[in-house]
Amino acid sequence: MFGPFRLTNPLSGGLLWKIPWRLSRHQKYRHRERLRRVDGIVATLDTALARQGESMKRVERWKLEMPTEGEMLPKDKYTVFDRKVKRYRKGIHKLPKWTRVSQRLNPPGF
Amino acid sequence: MPYFRITLMRSAIGLPSKTHGVLAALGLKKRMATVYHPVSSSVAGQIMRIKELVDVKEVEHAMTKDEMRAARRPDPGYYVEKRDAKVRREREGVEGLAV
Repeated sequence: MFGPFRLTNPLSGGLLWKIPWRLSRHQKYRHRERLRRVDGIVATLDTALARQGESMKRVERWKLEMPTEGEMLPKDKYTVFDRKVKRYRKGIHKLPKWTRVSQRLNPPGF
Repeated sequence: MPYFRITLMRSAIGLPSKTHGVLAALGLKKRMATVYHPVSSSVAGQIMRIKELVDVKEVEHAMTKDEMRAARRPDPGYYVEKRDAKVRREREGVEGLAV
């Protein structure tokens, strides 16, 4: 009944490993935390370099192009463009390695 | 001279080999490893490559491995009187002032 060898559909063989179609609110919360952490790191790099009197193209470009967590629309935060999906959007948790990659921008109009 | 204190929070397992290369170049071999690198645009560029995996703070001084270890060690709660005569004198001085 319980334990690692319980008889559930994913464990009794075959390819049944389902990913829910939407994120839970706790997943969303942790995702926002991760986005904010990356924002913080970029800000740290920017202030540290500015104090040295240096600047960096990659950081400048990130600041110019990438929205921060607060600026992002919920649609872009939690879903991602996919041309194969009906209505062109799927949950961001379907993206491979989604907790360790930055995926903030989507094609305009989608 | 300011330094970046870089700690690897997330492993790069399953990520592209370039990401592994950047971690190796920074000297980050396993999770929760901490390294110090001087603030420069080349190091900043490396951090930008792995910003989802690390924790970065700007600090004034770099710490050696031994110093980091000593900072983690908890207070033993005692001192040997013979060995730490100075500590004892200080403590007594403080208590004397308090009384």
